[in-house]
Amino acid sequence: MGRPRAFDEDVAVRAAVDLFGSRAYDGVSVDDLVAHLGVHRNSLYKTFGSKRGLYMAALRRHLADDVRPLVDTLATAADAATALRLITSADLGLLLLAVAERAPADEEVAAEVTAALDAVDRAIADALGIPAPLAAALTATALGLLLRGSSDSVGATLSQRLDLLV
Amino acid sequence: MALVRIDGDDLVVVIEGLHKVWALKSSLTIPLAHVRGATADPGMIAEPKGIRAPGTRVPGLITAGTFHLNGEKVFWDVRDPAKTVVVELADQEYARLVLQVDDPRATVALVENALT
Repeated sequence: MGRPRAFDEDVAVRAAVDLFGSRAYDGVSVDDLVAHLGVHRNSLYKTFGSKRGLYMAALRRHLADDVRPLVDTLATAADAATALRLITSADLGLLLLAVAERAPADEEVAAEVTAALDAVDRAIADALGIPAPLAAALTATALGLLLRGSSDSVGATLSQRLDLLV
Repeated sequence: MALVRIDGDDLVVVIEGLHKVWALKSSLTIPLAHVRGATADPGMIAEPKGIRAPGTRVPGLITAGTFHLNGEKVFWDVRDPAKTVVVELADQEYARLVLQVDDPRATVALVENALT
């Protein structure tokens, strides 16, 4: 038997969300994880199995803590402008990086992010009463704005056009 | 250096050349069901190694063999820390394997793909 865990797994996974969400998977070394999570290296391996194991735990936490509440809020959006604003103001760093970096190389990541984005699309389609493809286009637009960084003026212009569509 | 391959439902680790002598082991076969994951981890070399029994350790040069630390048994075979891969195991003699491989990225992908 090894030493008992001397760290709060919950806190460590949340810290991993922030680290992977700001630096991407390949940009985070085990040294970084050990330094930022306050976890001994061997405890990290014992608890999560691997860096990928910790990443999967962090991704699932991000989807539960950050994306799920967004989906719930989107379900009450009154118009396209609100939906766009809700998405572009959410903390979706890890989701975006997972889509771009890990999903193409990791089927499990791909399944998680696809399910999450589908849920966003469905919430928008239901809230605005629009067809699924249009809701998906709205999500894609919002995520694109998030990636571009500054979105206020573009977002406002788009919102006016989008609300004409729905 | 170690060669890591998947053979059916097993992970097979073959220790090559002189490393066999240093590590006092020529191969390990672990059922994939007992492999939890693999990670490229150059920083692992700085961790405490524990008590060597049996094996070879020349700090800064080679760490090979079985090491006991905090009640865990860890197998090491590393000369070049930059090429270190850590393979975490469950319910096995060794808690983890710390191996030097030719291509850490490819080895991690090989193991992780076999697990998912």
